[in-house]
Order: sequence, then structure tokens, then C-alpha cells
Amino acid sequence: MPEELMDESLRAVADPTRRAILRLVRAGELPAGEIATHFPSISRPAVSQHLRVLTDAGLVDVRPDGNRRLYRWRREGLRDAAAFVEEMWSNRLARLKAAAEREEWPERRRAAQTRKRLSKKENRR
Amino acid sequence: MTNADSTVVEQTMRISARPETVWRYWTDPARMCDWWGAAAELDPRPGGTCVVEMDGGGIMRGEYVELIPHERIVFSFGWDPTEGAPAIAPGSTLVEITLTPDGDDTILALRHTGLPVGVRDEHASGWGHFLPLLATAASGAVDA
Repeated sequence: MPEELMDESLRAVADPTRRAILRLVRAGELPAGEIATHFPSISRPAVSQHLRVLTDAGLVDVRPDGNRRLYRWRREGLRDAAAFVEEMWSNRLARLKAAAEREEWPERRRAAQTRKRLSKKENRR
Repeated sequence: MTNADSTVVEQTMRISARPETVWRYWTDPARMCDWWGAAAELDPRPGGTCVVEMDGGGIMRGEYVELIPHERIVFSFGWDPTEGAPAIAPGSTLVEITLTPDGDDTILALRHTGLPVGVRDEHASGWGHFLPLLATAASGAVDA
């Protein structure tokens, strides 16, 4: 998926109101009007704006139903965003492991060679 | 993990190096840059800065919360709100690293909490996904 869209979905979930909206529509499809009633301190246009951000980021799907618009959670949306975070950690921790092991490798190899020599001596006896 | 909305990720991996060695990769700027960033500003004490600048210019801004030498590191994790950086605000998530000695090796356990709601399941499967890659990297290091 394009990197801009991943960023967009991460930006979209960075806002507490939008996360609350996501939780609502995750439970089931809801019309915009009903979503707005859950946020009495936020204006209708502001709620519409949040819904647009979530839709543009691919986190919710919208479909018309008469003169209403119904919103529902789009499961794949966050999977894409999660892949972005996942990838960062997986790349980086693999590098940490390699670097830490590389640092101890020379002394571990010396120790292993010493053990080998000692066991050979032991066998010759 | 009982709350459906909680966003906790826990994963474990074995590193063929001692805890003291692995510890330095989380607290020494030069070593931090061996695996994570292009530059790092680290002040490893509670409340101290933990800032890592990526090759691409993104900046991870955190603070050390708890340090038990060679055993445990906790730091807050977020990104400066710059172009192209993931929208995880500084201070919004927490990373806990636990190092447990096992023979000459270290068992590293990572716990990342506070990630955006809904991310958890996919994130956890991602850790599972990369563990085989780590095993490959480890055998590569041994063959070197």
C-alpha cells in the first residue's frame, strides 16, 4: 500500500475523538446523526470532518441510505497502519540482535576454539 | 489483556549475547545507532531524554521512565509531528524491555502498550511473523 495512506491512517487514529468514533462503528453500522449524538460537546460539522478524515484514511466505509449516510468500521484499514509500526520494529530489532551478537562473536569463537582444543587433548589421553 | 480496547503487545526473543551487552544497545548512543537511528541523544536515567533520529529524518521522542541495570528499561515512545512520521504522539505509548540471562544468552521481552486502538491483534501477529526472520539472522551471525 502507498506510504502516504499508511501515514494517513496513523494520523487518523492519533485523535481521541476519532478513536471513540472508531469504537462506535466497530460495534455496528451507524448513521452520521447517531454518531454525533455520542459527542454532545462537539459540533455536527466537526463530527462530519472527523468522519471524513476516517473515511479518507480508509478506516471506515460509508454508504448512502436514502438521505442518510451510514458508516461502518473497515477492518483492513488499521491492519495497513499496524503493518507500518510492525515493520519498523521487526526491521530494527533484527538489527539489534545481529549487532549485539556480532559484538560478542569474537570472544565466543575464541572460547569455543579453546573448548575444542581442550576436548581434543582430553581424547588423546 | 482482558480489555478488548487495550493495546498491549508482548513478544520474546533470544539473543546470543549477555544482558550487559544487550543493555548497551538501549542506553549507549553509538550502539543505538548500530540498529535504530542515524543519531541518538540518550540520558539513561529516570526522566532522562531518549531521542532517536531516523535516517529519513523522523524523530522518535521519548523519556526513560525506569532503569534497572542489565535487567529492565522502560521508556515512553512517540514521534515528533513532522512530515512523514507516524502519528504516535510523544508520551502516548510505552515500551518496556526486560532482559533475563539464560546461560550466556539473553531472553529479551518487549512489551509495547498504548498503541492506537485496534492495532493490537495485527501488531502482535507482526511480532510473531518476524521471529523466524530473527532466527535466520542469528544463524547467519553464527556462521560468519
